Amino acid sequence: MAAGVDCGEGASARQHVFLVPDTACFYRLTDCGNSALEYLKEASKKMKSGLMFVKLVNPRSGEGVSYLFNMCLPQLFEIKVFKEKNHSWFINESVQSGGLLHFATPMDPLFLLLHYLIKADREGKFQPLDQVVMDDMFPNCILLLKLPELEKLLQHVTEEKEIDKKKYYKYSKEKTLKWLEKKVNQTMAALKTNNVNVGARVQSTAFFSGDPLSSDKEEDYIRYAHGLISEYIPKELSDDLSKYLKLPEPPASVPNPPSKKVKLSDEPVEAKEDYTKFNTKDLKTVKKNSKMTAAQKALAKVDKSGMKSIDSFFGAKHVKKNWKDLKL
Amino acid sequence: MDLSELERDNTGRCRLNSPVPSVCCKEPCVLGVDEAGRGPVLGPMVYAICYCPLSRLADLEALKVADSKTLSESERDRLFAKMEEDGDFVGWALDVLSPNLISTSMLGRVKYNLNSLSHDTATGLVQYALDQGVKVAQVFVDTVGPPETYQERLQQRFPGVEVTVKAKADALYPVVSAASICAKVARDQAVKNWKFVEKLQDLDTDYGSGYPSDPKTKAWLREHVDPVFGFPQFVRFSWRTAQSILEKEAEDVTWEDSQTGDQEGLKRIKSYFSKGPRARLPHRYFQERGLESATIL
Repeated sequence: MAAGVDCGEGASARQHVFLVPDTACFYRLTDCGNSALEYLKEASKKMKSGLMFVKLVNPRSGEGVSYLFNMCLPQLFEIKVFKEKNHSWFINESVQSGGLLHFATPMDPLFLLLHYLIKADREGKFQPLDQVVMDDMFPNCILLLKLPELEKLLQHVTEEKEIDKKKYYKYSKEKTLKWLEKKVNQTMAALKTNNVNVGARVQSTAFFSGDPLSSDKEEDYIRYAHGLISEYIPKELSDDLSKYLKLPEPPASVPNPPSKKVKLSDEPVEAKEDYTKFNTKDLKTVKKNSKMTAAQKALAKVDKSGMKSIDSFFGAKHVKKNWKDLKL
Repeated sequence: MDLSELERDNTGRCRLNSPVPSVCCKEPCVLGVDEAGRGPVLGPMVYAICYCPLSRLADLEALKVADSKTLSESERDRLFAKMEEDGDFVGWALDVLSPNLISTSMLGRVKYNLNSLSHDTATGLVQYALDQGVKVAQVFVDTVGPPETYQERLQQRFPGVEVTVKAKADALYPVVSAASICAKVARDQAVKNWKFVEKLQDLDTDYGSGYPSDPKTKAWLREHVDPVFGFPQFVRFSWRTAQSILEKEAEDVTWEDSQTGDQEGLKRIKSYFSKGPRARLPHRYFQERGLESATIL
């Protein structure tokens, strides 16, 4: 990786700190009419055109986000920004507020193509690619058609027909899900090699549980990887993928530690981790709740009709009862 | 007084001392503590101890050491030279706290106020004398803050020593007067020969007394504000005077613990329990790493 920082136009111009892959073509930074990037304009005067920033659709949200397109390979890169409160850069003899760090990382263009294929699928017919990848909002999407081995790529997610040596494509959900499953598996492998913490437990460092610190489970990895892949596909497809992978319902009820107030009951209390156990009234509910992480799969099949919502712990009845206890 | 050690690096603290007179390790001694440069917005704060055997206290008085504020600079220099001459029974030690150290202590994430810094420095010097084998029997301290609590604290710290903390002790006890002369001489010399860490061109060193009330000092401060960095390290950033000039003349800086009064990120507790569909947030991988998609490029 190489860091690219430059401006050279005095303190007033905004400087961007970039981390870009060390590819042969990457020193040829250029601009394609993004007025925000003055330094790239400057660079384009000096260098031949090779790279450009383009605004394309975000397949997850449908909104416009920035990508970097390498014309010589050609290759697509997504741009992520590191943004945290109270950071600024000192760049040589200047200050850049914000402390943003931009990453250009390779992106599978199929995610973007999928966005258009799914959209075109509403018409339910085979279409040539140049009719599929069309966008009034982001006209630069035609760049996607320049990508090498496009036909090979599209095989993963489409049915195709060839008439008069022209190819026609149609979105295939079955193929796409199969392809996404591979993506999930690849991501899982990457998560493991990079030691990414995927367990639900890290969400709250304040919540301690007595059982021995279990290492992250396979299921946690699948869910995590599914979540990451979902960043690149629309919501509907993400849900479909979830079913396809037979993931249990997302933890709509993350096992909340039982309300401490429940402890103030008339029933005897034993020094056990699950101190609500003897709160007979809630016994059933709580037991199910505490088991959830351990057997979420089981939970998905459980009939929830008898379960209490977490809200009930905050109800007026409980408050009253606790007040009474406190007065004793 | 040789302050070359301070001049080499004046960003932290620096301890200087005379050799310990051998008589001080045999006979019970009296020790005085005083400071110079507590109030100024510019330059270091110097703490000094001076000690001599109880039996030679009259000889110290004979030097006519008196409260340093009543003496001119040349008289102070003369008296300090005399004390050096009498090195066979008078010993001293100094702790020079740079303005940078004062700023960073007082403006740290955990606030360390000037009184605590002063008390700890004084305690450190008394301990130093004890560590050197000086038989300290009595300690006289010119007070910082209310003398009662200060005395109680020092007495607890040094139970075997008779501690007296008094306001204007530098006028009452010759050994404190002597310490005040050491401190003042060191401070004057440090300010006069201050080596600026910053590479500043044509820095005028005509900053007056360095006290916030001095119009010359105030004018100097206003002339030396950098919009990004503020002042050179010679200035105590923690002083109200310095801060109000920064607020007016320099760019705003927000720190992790700045009280900006913005309520962003504060949600009603109830919002965590609502059943309604939540907006599709970015995956936790990105949230935990502060990453988001670029939209403004």
